[in-house]
Amino acid sequence: MSAPAGRTGSGDGAGACARCVRRSWLLSMLSGALDCCARDRSRLIELLALADEELLQAVAGTRKAELQAQYARFRLGAPGGETRARMHEAGATGGVDAVAEIDVETDVETICRHRRGYPRALDGPAAPHMLEVAGGAERLAELASAPVVAVLGSRRASDYGIEMARDLARGLVASGVSVAASMSDGISAAAHAGALEAGAGSIAVMGGGLGVACPARRRPLYERVVDAGCAVSELPHDCAGRRWGKLASARIVVELASVAVVVEADETAEDLFAARLARARGGTVAALPGRVTSPLSRGAHALLMDGASLVRGPGDVLELLYRCGGVAPGGRSSTSASAPTPTPADASAGGEDPRRGLRRELRMTLERVGAGCDTPDKLTRAGVDAAEALLALSELELMGLLARGDGGRYLPRSPSN
Amino acid sequence: MLARAHTFTIDGLRTRHVTVEVDVRRGLPGFTIVGLADTAVREARERITAAILNSGYEFPARRITANLAPGDVRKAGPGLDLAIACAVLAASGQLPREELDRVALFGELALDGAVRPARGALAVAHAAQRAGMRALALAGGCAHEARLIDGLQVTVVEHLRSAVRVCSGGPGDALPESAGANSRERARAEEGGGLPGSDGLAEPDLGDVRGQEHAVRAIVIAAAGGHNALLSGPPGTGKTMLAQRIASILPPLSSAEAVEVTRIHSLTGERVDALATRRPFRAPHHSITAAGLVGGASRGSVGEVVLAHNGVLFLDELSEFSRATLEALRQPLEDGRVAIARASHSAVYPARFMLVAATNPCPCGYAGDGERCDCGEADMARHRRRLSGPLLDRIDVASVLRREASDDLRAPALTSPARAREQVLDARARQAARLAADGVAVNAHMDVRALQRHVRLDARGEEMLRAANRRGLLSARGEHRVLRVARTIADLDGSERVRARDLGAALALRPEPTFTGNRAA
Repeated sequence: MSAPAGRTGSGDGAGACARCVRRSWLLSMLSGALDCCARDRSRLIELLALADEELLQAVAGTRKAELQAQYARFRLGAPGGETRARMHEAGATGGVDAVAEIDVETDVETICRHRRGYPRALDGPAAPHMLEVAGGAERLAELASAPVVAVLGSRRASDYGIEMARDLARGLVASGVSVAASMSDGISAAAHAGALEAGAGSIAVMGGGLGVACPARRRPLYERVVDAGCAVSELPHDCAGRRWGKLASARIVVELASVAVVVEADETAEDLFAARLARARGGTVAALPGRVTSPLSRGAHALLMDGASLVRGPGDVLELLYRCGGVAPGGRSSTSASAPTPTPADASAGGEDPRRGLRRELRMTLERVGAGCDTPDKLTRAGVDAAEALLALSELELMGLLARGDGGRYLPRSPSN
Repeated sequence: MLARAHTFTIDGLRTRHVTVEVDVRRGLPGFTIVGLADTAVREARERITAAILNSGYEFPARRITANLAPGDVRKAGPGLDLAIACAVLAASGQLPREELDRVALFGELALDGAVRPARGALAVAHAAQRAGMRALALAGGCAHEARLIDGLQVTVVEHLRSAVRVCSGGPGDALPESAGANSRERARAEEGGGLPGSDGLAEPDLGDVRGQEHAVRAIVIAAAGGHNALLSGPPGTGKTMLAQRIASILPPLSSAEAVEVTRIHSLTGERVDALATRRPFRAPHHSITAAGLVGGASRGSVGEVVLAHNGVLFLDELSEFSRATLEALRQPLEDGRVAIARASHSAVYPARFMLVAATNPCPCGYAGDGERCDCGEADMARHRRRLSGPLLDRIDVASVLRREASDDLRAPALTSPARAREQVLDARARQAARLAADGVAVNAHMDVRALQRHVRLDARGEEMLRAANRRGLLSARGEHRVLRVARTIADLDGSERVRARDLGAALALRPEPTFTGNRAA
């Protein structure tokens, strides 16, 4: 490999060596070809495990010679393959000052696998060589050094799935565990929202360059995640990830995590892709059950049948984390001594459970809602006085023990504060 | 020679007294009408000439000038024909002039001299009575409409010759046949029976609704307090059916309201046989334009919000209405009136109505209904954006309908319509008594000061309100809406205090800010 000169080896803190930056550039140049290959998901992962030259050979097609030439000429800061981050890292050369300045504003750092602070979990053959990080490489290091749980699930989730994902993330983050998820609709977005509710950040793995990957309607959430946690991408800042980028981001999510929890997924290759990756990697896969009749939970149930661990809430996930031995109790305490020491017992509520000490009628209503009498009509039919039912539902909603779902339903949730 | 006659013209909802002055003098024969007349009035020249000649009178072959005073009021419609013709006859000495000062004339002339009914007879009769006219002469076709106003002698004139007879002190024509039947109808309507003119047609009734108790309850609450309501749910769950039955539980119109409503409806040219007793129920199609909704498309055209005055405006498939149309609803919802200003005219119409809207929860309609919904999150966001904002901000009561099991549909109705109507009547009476000093009739129209005076919560209620604020579930405006609804729920129960359970129910009925539920942020 005729690697051009660049900074390699271990530097201190953030930054990326030329070789890793070139890898990222190469991926962006091959984006179209990879998208074509991504029709076969497992082939995509195999391709991503290849070294640069082999990857070029495998997918560049008619552009092979051209790309090989560019690859050989690649220099940090050269006009052939600039990204803003790279400009910043390499220092401005010649006429690209302006680009370097823009970069300072976007506040994106890069880190490659040769630097300290790069998540140690990303060591698989197909792991990304370099990450662009919004929110700070230091914060990524901190989040990744705590036990990480991946929250996976369908983009088309039901209100139940969304509420569960949110609860799960909230409970886990409150217990000092980090949550990683992609930034797609449905379960993933709900996981980030839940983590934010607990007042801490999560790791969002983007399916494309950080500058372009986030759709406008996700912007507010994305910005809050970057404020409290971080967003990462293996692609250059302005490279649209297309479909393969989303699949590739799923592999980063599961590689970061020691436990992958599927909250709600249909039994399709798309919804279960990440869970299958996690299993193939030998990681712990868990799933949260739903209704047997709901197609949106078929995937989760299939995983359970295949031996995935059953998870009912954050407590179960914490137990899995400790039982798997991957984590010593104390979690994040290796990096920040002040982090609370989580124990499964108090994990679900983060302390005192407000469900205790509820008045009798409220407790009964809560139980009924959990058992499926989840609309005022159903409660009335179950023998509760209509006015009392509405009062109890409202009071529980005000306590944060119920949330409104789709179609006038109420959903139990664990209280956040 | 000069002669004067009196008639009325309709300008928006106002009826203007018009004095017709006709001068007949020597000169080149001709007939001029001056005084800001519109096309229909200018065309009256031809009708009047033909009618006078065909009735066997002489049309003076002299220079005739008809002036419509006051000169700054635009006169519209063919209702002025009769007055101008009589003034011409009087000015040419074929009719005694004195009587014309005391009888108002209103009607369109046919070429053979017959008098045709013209729009807005009720409004004209109302104005004639206030103007102190002794009698109003108009066509038999709209005489029953005018007779709804007390204290005014209504004389039927079927022909120009009858008008001449009446103006000479003679009797009017007999009321046509249909008017007799109509008085029976009117009597029945006054007894609180069915809608006039809907013989044999069963009135939609709350008793037709099976299941959906929660939504029915929400509708009863909305009807009792005049609150704006939103029904959402999958297709086929009965949103429209339920909304259409609101009219059946609303209290009848008071007499002042009835005149107002009937006048508005008489303006649109609808045949009005009796004072309205039922509250109007308007359900425009979602393709309606903003001008169609608030009025003003052409001069004198009245919008749906005005036709719904004192009644219900029902917008089915709310999300299908154009954004501009829904925005146009803001002023009437806030002020209870619409001010229309166009290049040619401006007018203020009353428009205090109860808004009832129905919508699907998502573009496909099946969100929350099993797993059938296949809308993506982007679709949902788009749908939500369409509904959210200013309009959703003015909804007090929201209810979600769910698909009912089929055996529930066969079960007898749980809500007795008679009982619901009675409850609403009681609650309205209670509100009217309490709010008399505040100048409003229903809880929905209470201002903040009235709210503070009339809604006192108990300790538990206060605590709930604080909890809601703490959780960010209520905005300031939202809190006021919830309190108004809670007041109505207490009124329905006959309670003078607003108890925690009333507040709880009001909170449960409040519309979600995100509307379709808690999608992830």
